[in-house]
Formats: sequence, structure tokens, C-alpha cells
Amino acid sequence: MKTVVCIKQVLQLGDEVEFTADGLDVDPDYLDPALNEWDSFATEEALQLRERLGGEVVLVTCGSKQSEAALRRCLAMGADRAIRIEGVDRDPFSVARALADVVSAENSDLVLCGVQSSDAVQAATGTALAELLDLPRAAVITKLDYSGAGTAVVDRELEGGLIDRVEVDTPAVLTIQTGINQPRYANLRAIKQAEQVEIDVRSAAGGGTPAYRVRKMFVPDRGEGAEMLNGSPAEIAARIASIVKERLA
Amino acid sequence: MARDPKHDILFEPIKIGPKIMKNRFYQVPHCNGFGSEKPFSQAYFRALKAEGGFAGVSTEYCSISPESDDTHRMSARIWDDGDIKNLSLMCDMLHEHDALAACELWYGGPHAPNMESRCVARGPSQIPSDFEFLTYAIEADKDDIRHLQNLYVAAAKRARTAGFDIVYVYGSHSYLPQQFLTPYYNHRTDEYGGSFENRARFWRETIEMVKEAVGDDCAICVRMSTDMFMGEAGTQLKRDCLPFVELCDDLVDVWDINLSGIAEWGEDATPSRFYPQGRALPWQAAVKAISKKPVLGVGRWTNPDLMAEAINEGKLDIIATCRPSTSDPFLPKKIDEGRLDDIRECIGCNVCISRWEIGGPPLICTQNATAGEEYRRGWHPERFTKAKNADNDVLVVGAGPAGMDCAMILGKRGMRRVHLVEAQDDMGGTMRWIPQLPGLGEWARIVNYRKIQIDKLKNVEFIPNTKLSAKDVAEYGAEIVIVATGSYWSTDGLNGASHATIDGADASLAWQATPDQIMGEGKELAGDSVVVFDNDGYYTGVSMAEKLALEGKKVTLMTPLGTIGPYMHFTLEAPNQHRTLHRLGVEIVPYHLPSRVEEGVVVATHVYDEEGHEKSFAADGVVWVAQRRSNEALFRELKDSIGLEQLKAEGVDSLYRIGDCEAPRLTADAVFSGHRLAREIDSDDPSLPLPFKRERRMVDDASVASEKAEYAALYAGASLS
Amino acid sequence: MSVLVVAEHLRGQIRDVTRELITAGREVGPVTVAVIGQDPGSLVDAVNIDGVTEIVTVTIGAGEFENDAYQAAVEALIADRKPRLTLLGFTVNSMGYGPAAAVKLGLGFASDVHGIALEGDAVIATRSFYGSKVSAELEFPGVNGVMLLLRPTVWSPAEGVGNSSVTALDVAAVPSRARHLELIEATAASDVDITQADFLLSIGRGIGDKENVEMFKELAEKMGATLSVSRPLVDAGWMPSSRQVGQSGKTVKPTVYLAFGISGAVQHLAGMKTSGTIIAVNTDPEAAIFNVAQYGAKADLFDVAEELEKLY
Repeated sequence: MKTVVCIKQVLQLGDEVEFTADGLDVDPDYLDPALNEWDSFATEEALQLRERLGGEVVLVTCGSKQSEAALRRCLAMGADRAIRIEGVDRDPFSVARALADVVSAENSDLVLCGVQSSDAVQAATGTALAELLDLPRAAVITKLDYSGAGTAVVDRELEGGLIDRVEVDTPAVLTIQTGINQPRYANLRAIKQAEQVEIDVRSAAGGGTPAYRVRKMFVPDRGEGAEMLNGSPAEIAARIASIVKERLA
Repeated sequence: MARDPKHDILFEPIKIGPKIMKNRFYQVPHCNGFGSEKPFSQAYFRALKAEGGFAGVSTEYCSISPESDDTHRMSARIWDDGDIKNLSLMCDMLHEHDALAACELWYGGPHAPNMESRCVARGPSQIPSDFEFLTYAIEADKDDIRHLQNLYVAAAKRARTAGFDIVYVYGSHSYLPQQFLTPYYNHRTDEYGGSFENRARFWRETIEMVKEAVGDDCAICVRMSTDMFMGEAGTQLKRDCLPFVELCDDLVDVWDINLSGIAEWGEDATPSRFYPQGRALPWQAAVKAISKKPVLGVGRWTNPDLMAEAINEGKLDIIATCRPSTSDPFLPKKIDEGRLDDIRECIGCNVCISRWEIGGPPLICTQNATAGEEYRRGWHPERFTKAKNADNDVLVVGAGPAGMDCAMILGKRGMRRVHLVEAQDDMGGTMRWIPQLPGLGEWARIVNYRKIQIDKLKNVEFIPNTKLSAKDVAEYGAEIVIVATGSYWSTDGLNGASHATIDGADASLAWQATPDQIMGEGKELAGDSVVVFDNDGYYTGVSMAEKLALEGKKVTLMTPLGTIGPYMHFTLEAPNQHRTLHRLGVEIVPYHLPSRVEEGVVVATHVYDEEGHEKSFAADGVVWVAQRRSNEALFRELKDSIGLEQLKAEGVDSLYRIGDCEAPRLTADAVFSGHRLAREIDSDDPSLPLPFKRERRMVDDASVASEKAEYAALYAGASLS
Repeated sequence: MSVLVVAEHLRGQIRDVTRELITAGREVGPVTVAVIGQDPGSLVDAVNIDGVTEIVTVTIGAGEFENDAYQAAVEALIADRKPRLTLLGFTVNSMGYGPAAAVKLGLGFASDVHGIALEGDAVIATRSFYGSKVSAELEFPGVNGVMLLLRPTVWSPAEGVGNSSVTALDVAAVPSRARHLELIEATAASDVDITQADFLLSIGRGIGDKENVEMFKELAEKMGATLSVSRPLVDAGWMPSSRQVGQSGKTVKPTVYLAFGISGAVQHLAGMKTSGTIIAVNTDPEAAIFNVAQYGAKADLFDVAEELEKLY
């Protein structure tokens, strides 16, 4: 049983923001790196599969040397080895293409990704990766039953908490939702040991059109989001009730 | 972060008499246990608040004469040149931060026991104190009145010499001027008693004399209690105080308006259990409405929105704080910098006050472990040095208040990695449920503040839902291990009165429970009636009784002590807690200790009954608030079973324990314990506290010689009779 | 510019997001709506809305959503109709096939988009990054078309009966590698675990008195929401800290977050701003919560609450 887990070091923005000189991104001084929350659940799920079925958990990420901190975090949780791919644009298709080359060579039984990353929220990399690998896939998984061969039965969490139970042929790419498990902590000894692990660094082949190009980044206007509901309390209540009903449908 | 513009008003300067206060934050007089006898502790304590942005800072009540000696309680004193010198240090240090220094001139009248000075106080009428046993005053004649007024004038001049900018003629908390103003204390029939004009005469004359003496150099502040909550007899807003404001507004530069008499001054220093912040605002606003002078007032203010609102709505000019300024001396600076989530908000537990009420010890604070330690331990609440052993990794086991504070300070001291590991799903330990006791919601701030700070510290990681075994700890990979596993309430009736368990006590039974079980685990006792046994003496027993009574049970609160929750007398919570329990119909049984319990009945004896007659109390359930025990199993296993040597082999260089895991105690002391270890984690032996500086007179050869000579001269030529 | 909207449906009902996509699409150009399903004809009326010029039905074997069938259908539709812009909802289903189709066909792609603009022939999409603290304009150079997954609730649902043609498109069946088995109702959200709740009704200092907590508790119950609170209510001891949303409480991401009397201190916003739809009712028009809310109402809380209660 081999599972590849694709992880990302996300960048978190604090309360203050400045942009780079070209205005296309946030100044890195204002960004704090962290392991993407979804990816710790994906890693935990892979570790549990290994505990049950044996085998190996392999981590892959795209990013600079700095992003090795996220890999080491997952290594400390217990993953077996880690690969970092350098020189990849941050859009989901560029990332998916770079991952596809490496993941395909691993010939794993399952590929797990987080549903989305907290800094970009595209929810696209895993599904695009599945296409590039020509693998079956299912997105937003809150439960995984897999015996190591044949099909896996997974629960997809739809809007409103409704569960769509799906049977997936394997090998497959699954995008993992938070809450599917309780990610284990890494103790200090494991963290120290993970610091010593050698990470396999590869270069991206490149090529392919990116999903998009950022042409301008900016702080949205204050209050941009809220559409104000006007009218009498009864009218406001009616609007609220209909919005709530729509969203929860 | 920048200041929120809606708080700008709090930073506008204001003129008070001949002085300008640079903003609207002021620390009103409050005790800290240092007085003028510990001048460095006093000065460092007050100056820290000035550093934190307070524009005016006062002494505590400052005695004007040996006739007003509050020993065993610690006041400041401005009796002589020595006191001037000692208090001038505080003034100088405040001035270094552009803050004004205030001195609260105090004369206690019948409330001053004069235990050290052995003087006799003077007062308006000869009625013993309602606050202090066995103290009577001389009923002042007109010469005595002149004498008293001259004491104020002389003390005001000494205060000016010391460098004070604001001088109080203090007349609240039932002290002398309020005694003259109030029929409860003033039974005179001469021109100083009877009508409002007569009752106001002493105070007005005194203010005039003080103003005449120092008014060109110092602002004159009058602190007035505007309601004693005792009907016609007590001080009243409309009958006494508003007319007094009109009478004296021209003389006074700033009014300091509060509430209460001394016997129930918890109506002023309000415990959060009973009152929210801004409790005195209606009274302060009433004075503000008729005065042309600035009005300042306390209200346990911690919320800048409410502060700004009070000023914008014309109810106050200056935000006065005592407890919130101790809990967070940097309150103004944090508001100024928009760092609202860094404010260490006062929880209104009044443990600070309890130390003054006990008499003697310096103040402590549940939220701020550095309070009172500014000079003697050199602790600054907002500054941290990098630990010499910062290259170590630390494991803190247990995220209660002690563990949280320890991990937070270790993080601020730059330890490489701090892991705070907790068996439950969130931080707080017992402080997760204590705020669920009736009225104690604000105590959640203990956890909230630390949680936010820990969240911000990149080198501190919180790991929930993880119960570590001794083996897990040994193999965790930390060089430093700190066990902070807290304490639990004894389940077998073991208590500090009999030092024995109680027959039949067993909280594993369905009809018995401990506070941990009820609050932490949701255990419910069946039946309509319950006996709460309390030998703890603080809030837990009475709170359990109140909670169960609120749920509709018939509650008997039994204690071997003479009164319930005696420590709550010191925190000023007792009077209203008694009222609450009385209103709820809780039956109080003091001086009784259960000898045995069985389902349906608690059998108890009177602790002073030499023949041991038993009395039965029918009850469907029993709650044991008997005593606490440390959760020390993990520590013992690490130290005794695994052993320090084996731990060393695993890479654990040091093993410590903190908080209730050492010995159960006040939350303030548990937090202190965790804080202390973190502050001293790089000392030679962190398990032992470093000595603190003690302000005391040091004996040397010269002083010995001069003292001996002075004494010998007293009796030169006098033979033994 | 030609626009293809892919309708989303569940249990034989068109989902509301579809009407929002139509609104967004008809601002850009003539809209073709694709209905993919076992019996797409039964859903046609629901998408025959003003501004829709054509409805294309694609019949597939699966009764409910399956990503391989959807992907094949959408690829065939794009090949056939060559839309410049394809719009999907940013939903769990779209996540399962949208990015796959786009990367395969070489389309420009972005999801969670909350603004669309046209500059000549070029599509410019606006979306958020870094925890919604900043926004970015995206362009799509060198592509044959663009697929955008639009954030629900941003565009209002399209109204008005249309006069659209209906055509069927035959798409060869593909083997489904991820097969729908069953739909399972969510178990009732636990009473106290606010992080698991799908619908939070959250109250703050603005409710004034402790006595009012009960009223909102009842309202929450009626609306099927879980009650949560901001920190001042916990500090006041009115509610246990397990219900507290915010930096010192719990971080929540319900589908709907309905806030009454919460001003929106940064610490509170940190705990809820990633909620699906945020609706805030507050008497203070300057309340910071309006900055993160999709819908706001400056109104008396109690009046609105009373009216809401009548509706449930």
C-alpha cells in the first residue's frame, strides 16, 4: 500500500498588508508560512491507511526551500519520505502539472490532497492532478473505506451537510476535507528527527499554460461585501429567511 | 496597528486646576501594601503604570498624622520629612513619564485602630467603628476640629514638597470628611452637625484651607462617596452630595466620584460576581451634570468602547481605574496602539484587595503575575529577556492557568520550542468550568487572554486531546519538562478540619459529587435536597450552593468554619453573597462537621460540642467541597518510577512542577508559580525561587553606634529605681 | 460573448446557485444553459429564465451527480458550442470535475470568483486571496476559453420567465469510475459543537440583557440553527465558552452565519469570516461585521428577530 500525499505550505496574512513593488502579490514580509490545514488531515488519513494496511506514505510539495518546513511537519507526524519540486508557479494547473510528473512515477495506490489551500481556496489542484494522471477521483471526502485493493467507498460532504456516498475505482485521487480524522501531534523528538531527514529535491519540467495570471492585487474596499437589506423589520426578516433557506438547501 | 479613531477622545489632554493631564487615563488611589515604608516597591509599582500610559497616578490612602494609623493594614503616610523623601521617589519616577502624581490625604477617624502609633483618633461623634472592633474616637470639640484641619494643611504642604501635583481631601469610604457629612456618623448638634450646611462645614472649611495653602501649585481633588446604600442614615446623592458639589465646585479642581461606605466597600470596588463595569456611572453622571469641573470615576473599566462612550455622553471626563490598571498597567498604551486583544483585562475577583483586607501582604493579581513584583523581583509585565538556555525545547503538560502562563512566558523568553500539551480539547483546565459558576463569567478572561497570546507566539504550540503517559513524556524529546496537571477535589471527604476522611463519603456514588464532577463532567444529583459541605472557605462551596439552589434544590450549606466562604470577606464578595444565599433560601449550618453520611442523611456534630452529640440532616445528595489534592501521579511516576537518571538518558535535563500540581492554591498563586518558573528558567536552580529584594533597615556599625549613643543619652545619670 | 452555464441539481431540483450563474452570465452575453442528468427534460422549465437563449439537455445514466459523466458532457458541450466563458457554481460537485475539464481543454480557470468584467474580448475575474484579506484581478492570456467557478450568494438569483429554445445534445456514455451509491442526511448537529454546525445563529453584546438570550435561543431552535455567541456574552457568564466564536473561542465555518448584535471585533471576525454566507443584523451602521458580511441589515435586532420567529 503506497499513498502519496500532496501538501502545500500556505502563506498566512496578518492584520497588516503591503504589496510587492509590482503590485501582483503581498510582500512576503507580511506573510507567515504554515502547513495547509487540509493537508494535515490528508497526511493523517494516509498514516492511518499505512497503520492498517502497511506500506509507505510519500509526501510531495511544490515550493521553495522554505516550504520544506511543511514537509518536515508531516514527516514528524510519521510520513516516510518527502519530495520537493522547485520552480513551479503557484496557480493550480502549474502545480498540478509539476505534481503529475512526480506522482505518476510513484505508482501509488492512492493520492490524497487537501480539498483546498487556505491562502488560495481554488479547490482545483487535486481534481486537475487526477485528470493529468488519468485517475478516478472524488472531491471533498469526509470518510474513506479502503481495503487496499479494488474500490474505495467514500463519503463526499455536500453543501448543507448532506452526504453523497460514492464508490471509486482505485488507484484514485481523493481530496480530503477537514474533520475526516483527528491529525496526530508530532512530539519534539519526532520534530527533531524530521529535521534530519533528507528531502528529495526535483525541478519542474515546466510548460503548459497557467490557469490564470494575477494582474493586480489590492485590499478590497471597506464594506465591499455586505449588501444592505432595507425595509421594515418584516421585510428584512423575510429576506433573511429566504437567504437562509437558499443556502441551506 | 493604529488606534481606532473612536478612541481618540481618550487621548485628549485635560486641564485640572493648575495642571494638565496628557490623556484621560488615571489610576485612582488604591492600596498595594507598600505605603511609604517600602519606597522602591511603591515607586516602581506606580511608575510602571505611568510607563504604560496612565497620565495621572495616585498613592493609596496616605495618612496625614499618627492619629490615623491603620496598622495592621498598610497605608502610605506623610507624617514627616522621611515620608516626604520616600514618597518623592514615586513622584520623580512618575514625572519621568510625564504623568501627574497624586496624594490622597487621609484621616480615618474612628476607623483607624492606631495599633502601631497608639494615638487616639478624633471624629464627629463618639460611636465605635462599623468596620473595626474596639475603636472609638474622641468626639471632637472646636479645638480638635481646628487641629484636624491643620493636620490636612500641614500634610498638603508636605505633599507639595514631595512633588505631588494633585492633593486629595479624601472623603469617601466613610473617612473623616464623609463622617461629618453623614448622619450615620455625625450626631452633633453644634454648627458642625444637623443641617446640610452644618454637616458640610468641616469638609468645606478644610478644602478651603488646603486650597489656600497649596492651591496655586497643586490641583485639589475631592473624592466623595455619593451613596452608602443604607437609606436616610447614610450619605445620599441628592440630599448630601449634589448640594455639596454646588457648595464647593469653585474650590475643587477635579471630582473623584465613587460609592459606598467602608463597611461594605465592595459596592465601590465591585466584584465581577455582582456588577459589570461602569457600575457607578449614573452617580458620576449626576455630579458631572451640575459641576463645571472635570469628573473622574472608577468603574473597573477595561473596554475602550465603553470608556469613550462615557466621555462622549458627558458622564465622565477622566477614566479612573485601580484594578484594571494593576491587571494591565499598559491598558492605555494598548488602546493607543490598537492592540485590544493584548489587554489583560481585570476579572474583578478582588484577590488584590484581599491582601489589603488581610492586612500587611503586598497585593497580588490573578491576571498579572508581575503585580507587586516590579521592584522586588524586577519583573516587567511587557518586557522579556531571552533565556540563556533558549536553545532548549520545553514540554509543559497541562494547560490550566499555571501551565498556560508558564508556556506563554517561556514563549516570550524565546525558548526554541514550547509544546503545551493538554488532555482535554481546549485550554483552561479547571478554569474552563469555574467561569460557569454563578456570576463568575468574567473569570474566563484568565484563559482567553493567555489563549490569544499563546496563539500569537510562533514558538509555542498547543496540542489538545492528548493525555501523555510518563513514558510519552520521557520520550517526548524535550530537554525541559514542566508538569502542570492541576488538582482535584477530594472524593472521600478528606478535609482540613478533621484531617481525616468522612465515613461513607464516596463521590463515585450516584448521590455524592465533587465540584469537578458536577461542573467538569456534568454529573447530576437526583432528588430535591442537597448538603454542600464546605471546608475550603473561598468561593467554590458557596458557588456550588448557589448554583444548586438556582436549579431549584433545597440546599444546606454546612461548614466546620464559623461562617461560610470566610475568604470572601477579604474579596468584598461576602455581603452580597450572603444576601444571595439568603434570598435563595440556602440554609447555613456553621460549626458543623459531618461524622458520617449515608444515602438520604448527613450526620454531623457541632465542632465545639465536647460530648459529640450527633444531629441528622436529611438530604438526597451531598457535594464535597472538602479540600483539594494535587494531580501528581504523572510527576511522581516521572520522578520516582522512571527516575531522573533515566530521564537524563532520554534527554530530559530538568523536571519541574508548577501550580496546583505542587500544592493547590489560589489561581493567582498558581499562575504566579508558572510565571515564576518561566522567568527564572535560566537560573542556577529554577526549582527554587531566586531571593527577592526586601526593603528593610540594614544594620551597620555606624547605625549601631549612633543608636546606642542616642539610647544611652536618654538615661544619662538616671539610676534604676 | 457566448456563455455556457452548467445547471446544478440535486434530487430532481435545480439548485439556487444555477439562477445566480444565469444572472452573472447574462450580464456578459447570450446564455446557454446545460442541463445534465438522467431526465434533463424535467428540469428545463426551472432554467427557462429571462436572458437564457438556449437550453441544451444532455442525458446521462446516473441519477445523481457523477464526475466522469459530467466532465464528458461539459467537454462535449464546450467542443460543440465553443463558449468563450463557462460558468459553474463554486460547489462540491463542480470541484469534482470543473478543474479536470479545464486543465484538459486548456481553458483559463479560477474558482471562488466574486466579480467578472469584460475588457474587449478578455475576461477579467476578481477573487480573494490570503483568507479574503486581499482581492486580485486575474487575466487569462493565451487560452481558448475560460471556466470560472462562481462564489454562491454573490449574484442574485435570476428572475423572469424566458423564451428559450431547448435542444438535446448526444454525448457518448463514458464509464463512471466514481459511482454514486446513496445520499445520506446529515446527522443532527451536536448541540454544543459549534464547529460542526451548518447554520449558526450568533449573538453578541448588542442583545443587551441576559434575559434576551432565551429569546434568541428559541429563535435558533425554530430556525434549526445552533446558537453561538461572541466573547462578551461568555465574559458576562451568560453562555458557556463552548459556544464562543472567535480567536479565543472556536473557529467556525458554517454554511450560514446569522449574527445579531455582534459588532465584529477583529478577534471575533478571525473566528467566523470564512463562513459560507454571513448575514449581520446590527443597529450600528459602522459595525465592522458588515465588512465581512455578504448581507447586512441596520435594524432593531428584536424587531427583526420577532418577525423572523413568525416565519418559522
